Amino acid sequence: MADRRALITGITGQDGSYLAELLLEKGYEVFGMTRRASTENVERIGHLTDRISLIQGDLLDPHSLVSALRTAEPTEVYNLAAQSFVPTSWNQPVLTAEFTAVGVTRLLEAVRTVDPNIRFYQASSSEMYGKVREVPQNEQTPFHPRSPYGVAKAYGHYITVNYRESYGLFAVSGILFNHESPRRGLEFVTRKISDGVARIKLGLADELRLGNLDAERDWGYAGDYVEAMWMMLQRDEPEDYVVATGETHSVREFAEIAFGHVGLDWEQSVKTDPEFLRPAEVDQLVGDPAKARSDLGWAPRHSFRELVEGMVDADLERLSGSKSPSVHIPAQ
Amino acid sequence: MARRALITGIGGQDGSYLAELLLGQGYEVFGTVLGNPEEYESLAPLRDRLRFAEVELPNAEDVRRALRDIEPDEVYHLASASFVPASWDDPVGTSTAAVGAVSAVLDGVRRERPEARFVNAASAEIFGAPSEVPQRESTPLAPLTPYGAGKAFGHSLTGAFRRRYGIHASSAILFNHESPRRPEQFLTRKVTRGAAAISLGLEDELRLGDLSTRRDWGFAGDYVRALWLMASQEEPSDFVIATGESHSVEEFVAAAFEEVGLDWRQHVRFDESFARGAADSPELVGDPAKARDRLGWQAETGFDELVRMMVVADLELLKDQAASPR
Repeated sequence: MADRRALITGITGQDGSYLAELLLEKGYEVFGMTRRASTENVERIGHLTDRISLIQGDLLDPHSLVSALRTAEPTEVYNLAAQSFVPTSWNQPVLTAEFTAVGVTRLLEAVRTVDPNIRFYQASSSEMYGKVREVPQNEQTPFHPRSPYGVAKAYGHYITVNYRESYGLFAVSGILFNHESPRRGLEFVTRKISDGVARIKLGLADELRLGNLDAERDWGYAGDYVEAMWMMLQRDEPEDYVVATGETHSVREFAEIAFGHVGLDWEQSVKTDPEFLRPAEVDQLVGDPAKARSDLGWAPRHSFRELVEGMVDADLERLSGSKSPSVHIPAQ
Repeated sequence: MARRALITGIGGQDGSYLAELLLGQGYEVFGTVLGNPEEYESLAPLRDRLRFAEVELPNAEDVRRALRDIEPDEVYHLASASFVPASWDDPVGTSTAAVGAVSAVLDGVRRERPEARFVNAASAEIFGAPSEVPQRESTPLAPLTPYGAGKAFGHSLTGAFRRRYGIHASSAILFNHESPRRPEQFLTRKVTRGAAAISLGLEDELRLGDLSTRRDWGFAGDYVRALWLMASQEEPSDFVIATGESHSVEEFVAAAFEEVGLDWRQHVRFDESFARGAADSPELVGDPAKARDRLGWQAETGFDELVRMMVVADLELLKDQAASPR
C-alpha cells in the first residue's frame, strides 16, 4: 500500500483529471469518487483508468462517503465535485444547495468519523466574492456571492473553516479564480471561444456568438492550479489561500488572441448575442496570490497568451481528427 | 379579499407570534410545521384559525404545490433548526434543513408566486466573530457554526434572488429574541425557569456556564412585527433587527433572580460542561438604525421588561403544574 493515497471527488471534471495526473506523477495511489461509475462521462480520465481506482460515492449520500473513505483509506481528500456551471445553479438551486453546499458538510463529517488525520482540500471559488468589496481580492476579502453557486461555495468555505477551528481537522479552502484548459466544458466562455476559433479556421463554422465582451476575469491554467491544491495539503498548518494570476483580461482580449493565433480577425467572426449576457454579472474579480506565492512558493507557469493559444491549438488538433489531441499546455 | 400569508416553521416561537400578529391584521394564515401540527403547544390557542400546508421541507415539489394552492401574498421563511449548539451534534441535518429549505422556498416563490413578498429569517450568528461592533447590514459574514453557515447561506441567497429576478425578497438579520415561548434548552429560558423554580422551592440551584458572554436580547413579539413591516415596504431590503443594547449573561441572571426577590449568587453554580468554547464569546450587538429609519421599527420591550415577562410566565407555569400533579 502506497504511503500517500488520495481520494478525489469530481475526478471526471477538468480539475479532477489534472490533479489525478499530478498525484500519480508524485507517486500517490489515486482513488476517484464517481456517482455512478457506469454512466458518468469519464472522457477526461479515460487514459488513466488503469492507473486509478474508481469508487462509487455520492455527496448526497453520507453512507456512501463513509464507505468510500473506508475503502480508499486516503491520507488526502480533495473535494472538487460541484455543480460548477453558474447559470445551471439558477435553474437548479435546490440541487446546487444539496450537492455543492451540504455535500461539503457530509464529506467533512465522513472524514471526521473515519479518520480525522486525513488532510482535506475544499475547492472554493472566486464566485464567492460576487459584489466585490475590494480589488484585488485576498483571503480576508468578505464574500458577497450573487448566484446560487457562489452562495453554496461560500457555505462550503465557512463549513470547512468551522471544522478546522472546532475539530482541529487539517481542512483548507483554496479560493481559486477562473482556471481554464483544453478540458474545460464547452459551456464556459473560454472554451467556447477556442472551440469556435478552431471551427472557423477549419471551415466548420462561420461565426461565434458571445455575450458581454467587456467582462473581465482573472484567468489561469488549470494544470497550474491543481499544483497549488496539492501544495496546500503539504504545509505544516492548514490555512486558506487565494490562487490566481493577479491579472485580468477581457473576453474581447481572449477572443483577439485566439483569432490572431490562427491568423484571423476576431471582429469579422464574433457576433454579440444578448442571449448570452449573464445575469447578475459579478464585478471585477481579480485575485491577489501574494500569500500563495510567499507561503507555498506557487506561481502560475503559464501566461495568458500561452493559455489562450494552447487552448486553440488543442481544439484545432481535436477537430482535425487527431487521435490523441494534446490537453497539456507546455509552459515556456 | 383578505391577504394571505404562508409561514414556514409556524410552530416555533417566532412562527406563533407572527401568526398572532397577522391574524390580528386580518390575514388568512397558512403554515408549515415539522411533523404533526397538533403537537405544537404554542399553536393551541390559534389552531382553529390557522391552516396547515402539507410541506415536508426541503421538498421543492411540496413547496411549489403549496404556493400554487395557497397563492400567498406574503411568504415568511422561519423554518429552521434554531438551537445553535445542537448544530454541532447534527451538522448535516442542520445544514440540509437550512440550506435545502431556503433554496426550495426561494425557487418556489420565483417560479410559482413571483409577486409574493418573501421574508427570510436570518440570524446574528451569520456574523460569527464580527469584525465590527455593533453589527450592521454591511458587516462581513463570518459564521462559526453549522447553524450560522446555514443562516449565512439563506441570507445571501435571498439577496441573490432579489437582484436576479427582481422579486420582493428581504432578509432579516435577527439578533437574539426571547419570550416565554422559548424552549427550555435556551439559556434565557433556562435562567427564568430556574429562578422561578428556586423561588417556589422546587429546585435549589441553577447550573450555568460562562456568565460574561454579551448578547443583544429582545422580545420575539417585537421582532416578528419587524418581519411584517419588511414585507410591507415598497422596496425589499435587508435589515438588522436588534435592540442595540448588549447585556451579559450575568446581568440577565441577576435581573431574573431579582424579580423573584433572590440573590442570584446564592443559587447559581458554575458548570464547566455548559461553558461553550471561545468561539461563542464575541460580543454580538446589532445596530438597528436602518430598521428604525426605514421601517419605523424599534424594540418596544426593554431588557428588564423582557426578563420580568419570562419569569412571571415561568412562575405561573410552575404553579399550574404544582397545582395539578399528574
